[in-house]
Amino acid sequence: MTGSDKRLTPRLARLALRLYPLPYQRRYGEEMRALLEDSPPRARTFFDLLKGAARAHLRPAEAPAGLIAPAERVRASTSAVLLCWVFFAAAGFGYYKTTEDLPFSAAGHAHPLLRDAHLAVQALALIASATVVLGALPLIVAALARARREPGLRRTVALPFLPVFVFGALTAAVISIAHAQGPNGSGAGSAVAIAWWIAGLACGTTCVLACRAALFATPVAPARLRGALVAGTILTVAMLAIAAATAVYAVALSVDASHLAAETNGPYQLLSVTASLVVMAVVMVGAGVLAAAATMRGWRVESEVA
Amino acid sequence: MRYIGERSTDPGLLVLTSLADSPKHGYAITVDVEEFAGVHLGPGTLYGALARLESRGLIEALPADDRRRPYRLTADGSAALQQELAQLQAVTRQGLDRLRVAEAAR
Repeated sequence: MTGSDKRLTPRLARLALRLYPLPYQRRYGEEMRALLEDSPPRARTFFDLLKGAARAHLRPAEAPAGLIAPAERVRASTSAVLLCWVFFAAAGFGYYKTTEDLPFSAAGHAHPLLRDAHLAVQALALIASATVVLGALPLIVAALARARREPGLRRTVALPFLPVFVFGALTAAVISIAHAQGPNGSGAGSAVAIAWWIAGLACGTTCVLACRAALFATPVAPARLRGALVAGTILTVAMLAIAAATAVYAVALSVDASHLAAETNGPYQLLSVTASLVVMAVVMVGAGVLAAAATMRGWRVESEVA
Repeated sequence: MRYIGERSTDPGLLVLTSLADSPKHGYAITVDVEEFAGVHLGPGTLYGALARLESRGLIEALPADDRRRPYRLTADGSAALQQELAQLQAVTRQGLDRLRVAEAAR
């Protein structure tokens, strides 16, 4: 392990702690941070924390009760759905890159089920993206308005924009590298693509965590929070529907266009097209299920308050 | 009936066993489990087990010492641990007996 690894891993581990549901963070966060200081985190600690966070979200019955107010729980649920969307979108981008070429369009014209599944994915992705924007907009406006009046809040509210700008700059750099390389990709091109994808996930996760911090720091009217929860519900349904359509597409492709399905795909051509689509569908289902768990928890709180 | 395959390395059972003799905080449990079972419990696994055991009333938290909060077994926790270990002991005895018989027959 290098010196920089040693410095990076504890930071990553502390970041992973923030992925836990809020009741867990309040009840066990300080103890877990102390444990991470006592026992130097290994690389696998990060994955252990990710697994623990996912499990904590999926089993709310085991969560410590009474540690957060209902409005905070709705905020936490909404932020969790947004985080699921980041991971879902990363897999969705993989689907887009896999199926964007001409042979796939041609196969779609020849086979109605392929075409319909592809159209369904595209239409639902548009609905989901619009829902994210429409759901987040009232909260962003409220946070910006508040930050204008309270200078102490400006840094917290501005922070979510930083990873977006960083990712935008990275994307511009990757596009210029891709243009310089030309159409025939190389091993270096694959490495850049993987690095860009990981950077995208990191920026997305950082952005959502920063949004969450801003949302917790900003007083928001209950109606706006309920609106965000409705948007989160629509987004969750769209995510699960896209995952189902992707699975249908993968099956239809391997049946109707087996030559395309068997082609190699992705960075370093490691997987076949079918295997890539299956991996993407699995990630999409996982993100959708986690989002559904968070959404249901949000509505449970809403009904308790009502 | 629970699936028994991973019972001996079930994090909950390991944590209960670690707390059987005295209250311990997270780091002390990790070190203890590593010593007696050769299993490293990551922080996510450890606190997942602590949360489950606490919500089932099998362990309870004691007042925090600095940022480190010790846990101890409750009466229910002791009973549950005793029952689990008795079952494991029965399985262990049975397995060893059968291995001995098979070895003698060879």
